[in-house]
Amino acid sequence: MGLLAPTVLILLGLVLYPFFYAIWLAFSDKAVGSAGRYVGFRNFAYVIAWPQFSAAVFNTVIFTFSAVALKFVLGMSVALVLNQRIRGRNFFRAFLLLPWVMPAFVVYLVWRWLYDPLSGLINYALIDLGLVASPIAFLSDRSTAMPSVVVAHVWRNFPFYAISFLAGMQTISQELYDSAQVDGASRAQQFRYITLPGLYQIIGVVLLLTTIQTANAFEPVYLLTGGGPSDATMVYTMLVYVMGMVNLRLGEAAAVSTLFLPLLVGLVLAVTVLLHRKANA
Amino acid sequence: MARPAIRRTRREFIKESATLAAGAGAAMSLPAPAAAQRPKLVYWCYQFLKASDDARADFAREWAKKNNVDLQMTMVPWKEFMPKITAAIEAKATPDVVESGAVELRGRGQLLDVTDVYKKVEKANGGWVGNAAKFMLEPDGKVHHILYGFQGFMLIAREDMLKEAGISKPPATWVDMLDQAKKAQKVPRVFGMGIPVSNQTDSSVWEDIMKSYGARLADEAGRKVILGDFKGAVWEFLDYFTEVWKAGVLPPGVTTWDNTMNNSTYQAGKAVFILNPVTVSLWLEANNPELLAKTAHYTYPRGPKGQIHPVNFGSRSILKYTKVPDVAKQFLLDSMEASKMDRELSVSQWGPVLKSYLAFDVWKKKSFMKGLVEMSQRGEPEGHPDVFNDAWREQATNTTTSRMLQRIVVDNWPRDKAFAEMIDVLGKIYAKYA
Repeated sequence: MGLLAPTVLILLGLVLYPFFYAIWLAFSDKAVGSAGRYVGFRNFAYVIAWPQFSAAVFNTVIFTFSAVALKFVLGMSVALVLNQRIRGRNFFRAFLLLPWVMPAFVVYLVWRWLYDPLSGLINYALIDLGLVASPIAFLSDRSTAMPSVVVAHVWRNFPFYAISFLAGMQTISQELYDSAQVDGASRAQQFRYITLPGLYQIIGVVLLLTTIQTANAFEPVYLLTGGGPSDATMVYTMLVYVMGMVNLRLGEAAAVSTLFLPLLVGLVLAVTVLLHRKANA
Repeated sequence: MARPAIRRTRREFIKESATLAAGAGAAMSLPAPAAAQRPKLVYWCYQFLKASDDARADFAREWAKKNNVDLQMTMVPWKEFMPKITAAIEAKATPDVVESGAVELRGRGQLLDVTDVYKKVEKANGGWVGNAAKFMLEPDGKVHHILYGFQGFMLIAREDMLKEAGISKPPATWVDMLDQAKKAQKVPRVFGMGIPVSNQTDSSVWEDIMKSYGARLADEAGRKVILGDFKGAVWEFLDYFTEVWKAGVLPPGVTTWDNTMNNSTYQAGKAVFILNPVTVSLWLEANNPELLAKTAHYTYPRGPKGQIHPVNFGSRSILKYTKVPDVAKQFLLDSMEASKMDRELSVSQWGPVLKSYLAFDVWKKKSFMKGLVEMSQRGEPEGHPDVFNDAWREQATNTTTSRMLQRIVVDNWPRDKAFAEMIDVLGKIYAKYA
């Protein structure tokens, strides 16, 4: 026990101190350069009444669910394809990782250019093909802004799903598929009764990690829309950034983070419980 | 041939180790080399326009060499400055000299008093230009940052396209500007007005325009929000904005433009008018002289209640935590020296802050730089006629005016609702600082 003490102390210091310090900040009027005084629930009342807060809650939930769902579907589809014996399989597997290894900054600036209504490639192609008459402002229209941010985020992050699922698929014995084929099981049935159950543990871990990661995503919104137009893509991480790093009101920024904590914990618990039940079914 | 291994007894090994340790200890107690005793100055240099940044960085290096100072310089873009300095202050690892965020840091008591430097610079250069002193002097006569340049928006226009549309005079009012933009634009290739209506600070132009229609946000003391008293002026401004929006002179996408998009749109030849500092023109000078030859630079148009033309500034300040205050002050003083500034201003976007700088050739040589002198002489502090304080700054970084406009054109909110939300937000912000 004594031998473990230093490690436990370091872990507690690295994990618990910042966690409780952030909560303390939420109850203080801490601004940059000031010590900060205890102000009770004042910051919470302030941020809840702030017009962008409700937009941030709504948008964070929409962004997280839609992005995770799309990444899951796309990742699973690609993994299924790359699990087949196709020509150049190893090349495609390596190629698949490209979006994921590129720096987020580069990826989102490229997407920003692709979406640009004046010089972007997507509008250029759409107009050239005669599909639209005038350019579409993908990032500046309320109806297309959030889907455009989600698409860019999914493009960058789905390879992690695909590679993880592919690794899981390769641990499933081929004999199971052979037996199922002999019994006359269709491809869909094989996926439903062999592949999916065999991947539950991996799906659980991947969904758990990426739900947290997606809910905390900052770069796509910061680099593509800045939270606009008119808060249509304002997510909570962007609001925290504006309050803490732009307005220098660390207490208010910490209050936003603290208010989102139950939501994030709830999301994680929901995913964990759901997958645990499936795995034990 | 292999060398025979030298075997030592344990006693010999201990003896040799002790000798080595004693030797090392003695060496460490010797006086440190001169290099290690040089004062160290950590300098965060503002990064924006390469030629201008290089000029300041080159000077700093030369200065450090001449004064035997160990200089540690980091280029920091404006957008990254506040997050970086916030972390540095909280971690108690601050630089000595910085070139951004002086007013914000001064408001939080983070800066060293440099009144003595201010007085020396003023005396050596025949005084300050325009309102420069107003930007630095505090009510108690103290100074915490030294201005080295003014920067402000100018009306930058495609003169060739305006001439082609039969327009020969610069727009005197915002309404003139809209009329000219409508006549000269060639949609969808070239749009009339490349102005953002987004959550970025370049959208503050709309606040200036609203104020030129007679509105103001807060009272003379900068504490109480009084925008609600100016509903008539705001409505007149919103009539104007609605006309701008409906005329299709704003390029698609302006509601999410970042602060670079107005520059890049003009540089790509896709806007007739933009409101921007002369950084655009300096870029054109180096990269697209043909477009620069077709470009004119005008002063800000007027509104029905006059011209509102705020300017901001570049300044240097010293963090109060510095261990080398005298070295840092000397750096501030030397960096304002006229011959050094002559070299720097000839490749920069800055207007003159000291009277001795008015004699520089750059204001005569480059036509687009002439306007900087007038801007420096007449420009008011940001926020004018409102007081530039923490509350005004927070509402400016929240782009409250632009958000009101976005509510109207993006969310189709009625004016009353958007206006009420803006007053509510302003009230919340100003109440924190009252």
